[in-house]
Amino acid sequence: MRKERFSRQSFLGADSEERIAACTVGVVGLGGGGSHVVQQLAHLGFQRFVIYDEDVVEESNLNRLIHARSVDARARTPKLHIAKMMIWGLQPEATVAGFACRWQEEPEPLRECQIVVGCVDSYQERYELEVACRRYLMHYIDIGMDVHGKESPVIGGQVILSSPDGLCLRCMGFLTEDKLSKEAAQYGAAGSWPQVVWSNGVLASTAVGLLVDLVTGWTGRRAAQAYLVYDGNKNTVKESVTLLNLSTVQCPHFATDETGDPLAVEL
Amino acid sequence: MKIEIRLTGRMYQSILEDLKRRHAFAAERVGFAMSRNGTLANGGSLVLLNRYHPIPDEQYLDDPTIGARIGPEAITWAMQAAYFGRARHEGLWHIHLHSLCGRTGMSGVDRREIPKLVPGFQSVGKNGTHGILILSLDHASAWAWLPGKMEPIAAAVVSVIGTRIEVFESEGRK
Repeated sequence: MRKERFSRQSFLGADSEERIAACTVGVVGLGGGGSHVVQQLAHLGFQRFVIYDEDVVEESNLNRLIHARSVDARARTPKLHIAKMMIWGLQPEATVAGFACRWQEEPEPLRECQIVVGCVDSYQERYELEVACRRYLMHYIDIGMDVHGKESPVIGGQVILSSPDGLCLRCMGFLTEDKLSKEAAQYGAAGSWPQVVWSNGVLASTAVGLLVDLVTGWTGRRAAQAYLVYDGNKNTVKESVTLLNLSTVQCPHFATDETGDPLAVEL
Repeated sequence: MKIEIRLTGRMYQSILEDLKRRHAFAAERVGFAMSRNGTLANGGSLVLLNRYHPIPDEQYLDDPTIGARIGPEAITWAMQAAYFGRARHEGLWHIHLHSLCGRTGMSGVDRREIPKLVPGFQSVGKNGTHGILILSLDHASAWAWLPGKMEPIAAAVVSVIGTRIEVFESEGRK
C-alpha cells in the first residue's frame, strides 16, 4: 500500500516502501554525520533502527547536530535521545533499539542490521566496525570528514561502501597499517576535530543515497563497493581514483567463511 | 526466540543458478550449504551461510515419486562436511527450490523426508545449527535445529546481503 507521504519517492520502485520498512539499519555515532543520516532515514520511511552514541549534547555540538536545541546543551541531553525523538517524530511506529554506550559494549543488537552506517571519528573504530560487519554479513557504509590546515583550510571527506561480497577499506587504500599505528601513537592527544554542518550534510546525504540504492536497487548499479571523495572547497563528490584504478576484484583481507562468533579452535 | 538466516548476494545467486538447472531425470535439484553461528540479542541466533555445495548430477537417484532423491554419495559428502566442520561449530543446510513466486513452505514430501537427515548431521556436528532452506523464485523460508534440539524453529527472517538487499520474513509482507 503506497502512502501519500511517500508518493514523491515512488520512482524508487513499486515495492520500495515495503523494502525500506523491512530493512534494519544501524547507525553508530549520532553526532554531526549520524544525526543527518537518522533524520533522512526516518523521512524515507525506515522503521527499524539500531543506534548507538554515548555522548551528550554540548554547546560545541550546536553548530551541526541536527534537531538539537540550545536547551539540550544546557540539559546535557543524550544524543541518543535527540535521535530517537527525531525518528519517532517522523515514524511513530518505528522500532528503535538505542544504546547510550559504545557499540562494542552491546554488540549483539547491531548484528540484527542488514546495513550499518559508521559515523565514527577514528581509523581504529572504522576498522572494528568493518570487522564486525564482515563477520556478521552486513553492508558497511563509512562517512568521515576532516579539515586540514589553518592558514588555508582544506575540507576533505569520504563515503565508502564495504560489502561482504566486495572490497574492504584496506583494499580501497583507505585503511592502512601506517594510519592505524600513527593514530594509536597519538592516542589521547587528538584534540577536537573541526566539523561543519554542510559538509556533514553532503557526506550523510551521499551515504543515504548509497544505502537507499542497496535497499531498493532503483539505479540498477549493483556495485558491492564504492569510494566517494568529497572536496569541501570545490563542493564536489567524485569517485576515488584509487578505486577506479584498482585491479583487485576479490578482497584478500576477509575470508568468506570467517563469519559468526569467533571461536577458539582446538588444534 | 528469533532466528535469522543470512547469506551474501553472490552466494544466493549461485544457489539459485544451480537449483534452476534442469536435471536429466530429477524434477528438482538439491544443494548443501555450511553455516556458522552468531549470537543475537535476547538469546536469538544468527545463522550465517558461507559455502554452497551443489549435488553432482550423477549423485541423484531416479525416483519419479518425488522431486529429487539424492544418493548415498551425496549423503556421505554431507556427513563428512558436518564432521570436518565440527571444530568450527559449522552447521549443514539442505537447500532446494520451489519454482513459484511468493512465500513457500515445506511440502508433504519435504516434511516427511528432509528432517530425517538432521539427526545424522547432529550426531557428527553437535555444536552446529543445522536446517532446511527452501527458496521460491522471490522468497525464502527456513527451519533451524539448534544444537541439541530435536525440534526445528522456523526462521523469522532470511536476509540476502546483496547489492539489492532481500529481507524475506516468515510473516507479514510477501
